[in-house]
Amino acid sequence: MSDTEKGISRRSVLKGAAVGGIGLAAGGSLLAGCAKSKVTGDINFTIRGNLSDAGSKIAIAVNDAYTAKSGNKVISQAVNSDDFQNNFVQIMQGTPDDAFGWMAGWRTNARADAGLLADLSDQVAALGSSLSAAAVQGATNPTDGKQYIIPTTYYPWGLHYRKSTMTELGLNPESIATWDDLIKLCEATQKKGLVGYALGDKGGWEAMGTFDILNMRLNGYQFHIDLLNGKEQWTDPKVVEVFNYMGQLIPFMNKNVLDISWDGMRDLLLQKKCGAMMMGSWFANDFLAKSQEDYDDLWIVPFPEINPEHGVDSIDAPLDGIAVAANGKNVEGGKELAEFWGSKEGIDAAVAAGDTNIYISSEFDSSSYDAFNNQKLAVLGAAKNIGFFLDRDTRGDFAGPVVGPAIQSFLKNPKDLTKILDNTQAQWDALPAL
Amino acid sequence: MTTIVRDKKYRDKQKRKDNFISVFIGFFAIVWIFPILWTIWTSLRPYNDIISYGVFSWPRHLNLDNYFNAFRQMGLTRYFLNTLYVTVPAVLLTLFLGSLIAFVVSRYSFKFNLSLLLLFTAGNMLPIVLTYIPVFWLYIKIGDLFGNRSLLYNNYLGIVLVHVAFQVGFATFVLSSYMKTVPKEISESAIVDGASVFRHYWNVMLPLLRPPLAALGVLMSCWIYNDFFWALILMSQDSKRPVTSALRQLQGEYVTDFNLLAAGAVIVAAPTVILFFVLRKQFVSGLTLGSTKG
Repeated sequence: MSDTEKGISRRSVLKGAAVGGIGLAAGGSLLAGCAKSKVTGDINFTIRGNLSDAGSKIAIAVNDAYTAKSGNKVISQAVNSDDFQNNFVQIMQGTPDDAFGWMAGWRTNARADAGLLADLSDQVAALGSSLSAAAVQGATNPTDGKQYIIPTTYYPWGLHYRKSTMTELGLNPESIATWDDLIKLCEATQKKGLVGYALGDKGGWEAMGTFDILNMRLNGYQFHIDLLNGKEQWTDPKVVEVFNYMGQLIPFMNKNVLDISWDGMRDLLLQKKCGAMMMGSWFANDFLAKSQEDYDDLWIVPFPEINPEHGVDSIDAPLDGIAVAANGKNVEGGKELAEFWGSKEGIDAAVAAGDTNIYISSEFDSSSYDAFNNQKLAVLGAAKNIGFFLDRDTRGDFAGPVVGPAIQSFLKNPKDLTKILDNTQAQWDALPAL
Repeated sequence: MTTIVRDKKYRDKQKRKDNFISVFIGFFAIVWIFPILWTIWTSLRPYNDIISYGVFSWPRHLNLDNYFNAFRQMGLTRYFLNTLYVTVPAVLLTLFLGSLIAFVVSRYSFKFNLSLLLLFTAGNMLPIVLTYIPVFWLYIKIGDLFGNRSLLYNNYLGIVLVHVAFQVGFATFVLSSYMKTVPKEISESAIVDGASVFRHYWNVMLPLLRPPLAALGVLMSCWIYNDFFWALILMSQDSKRPVTSALRQLQGEYVTDFNLLAAGAVIVAAPTVILFFVLRKQFVSGLTLGSTKG
């Protein structure tokens, strides 16, 4: 860390590289060529998860790789994910760790507006073209056009089913292309005495996945996002139409929708008791835990097209990343670590440690993927617009307390739709300005 | 003759009543014990059994694997130590301060005696979640005042103090009730013999308070041991949190293995259960303490 090394800042070199169009390949070699970073001091890092799970081991491996490169020690701690989310504002105002795993969307943008997160625009710029424009767009705070999170991984929400069930029913096991196909699948499975469309909405958020995708299929991505940010009305006939479609699925659902959570849905599919379900594909390891056959049987496709105008151009794919606390002890260190997570070296370290997440960076090498993981990539690739899931696309005090119960009451009593939507709009209107 | 018949009738009636009460109590005993038995039952079954065959399925495997895994994953030694760091000073300090206030309130008459006691009791009624944000900011601001944010926040001292603050009201209430049952004459003779206020408290009253102090100590140890809330919000570093938060280590962002969690819960609950059986006498006396005079 001598002064002579400050002659050329690594960051300015990188920026130059990106601007000059040399590309990240050159940037990468420059990164590797720079032995020590100009940032010093220990960096504290929060992992959302428990220390014994795979995610923590991967995070520690990435942090170790950073230490090896920069010489800065990273002190990692694992905390319960829910606790961290729920106390986030307090934690950030107290003595926060410098960097931590976080979620893009409202949860980043609103906290950035409150001054709790550090600006990472320079780091995102330094990562340059390895991040797709859509990913950078997704990580950008609309209020000031800056980025407060380095996007790293994401996963698709899609229609999950067992290929064997489809074959038994005489349907194409690799695709469900249209709404009619979906209904056909539901009817056929129901005739067999199974649940057609599995849904568990005890937590209030699970059915948001179905709502999101129906809205994006029927009315398009832009309408969906505008609706969630108060620019469109919940009482709009277009929204009514979304619920009408959801209503068509209700007869095919299990009877205990409000009594089971997402893991109840998973179990229905795992135990071959249902046709299809709309879900985030994080649960595949449970199939693998049961048996290789069960895992090989599992499949995911984009939710079928309903409105040809929008096709299957949108998807819910929650984007995770690394954010940096504005009140941390070592903000510059945190920023550098966050950037490392998004770089080729960081991703390589994660993959070497056994990470099966899908990285958003073009530096990510997916050659070792199995069929299911490749299908996940295909599902993501089919979409042009990426939503982050309802509870990340809208205000936190609207998603959980208002939309969740609204969908629940609709599932319980579809006839009350007008009242429910009026109520939802009224509650949005009553929210205090941020 | 008639008296015997009446006695027999009376006896039969009593017997029927007893039987009815036994069934009634038995029923509620089962209701109360069911969740505990179910937890233990769950903890013996592997996760894979549950997701493959459902919660109510006939068990394919029963073993202690969940316990071994929970032990490995929770890092119990560290968390138990943390609990010790919080519980021991908090209980001792609460009992000391509580007995001091109780002593003054019950042995000396001030104008504000009753209102003081009321204040402490009322503080006890305040739901602690309401005070969460103010306590948080208080800790941060006091820390900033001394140039060290971690003076109280994210520090054992802070957790100990907040427990003392919330428990001292109850301790005062119980101890002052008990002290009122101690004859005034003892105090009077101590004062006549020339005992100072502190000697009066330390050498005369405190030895007499041994039974309520023991009972309270046991109760408070359990309460503070079970606390999760304060440790969660006032400790930003997980490695400093008590054993109750070790359970959170068993829950993932999406997937929670409830069988493992059940095993963890049994492990964490065990010390309090053992404590209860060892010190049962103090527990029971603690429940009725000071209830005869108040």
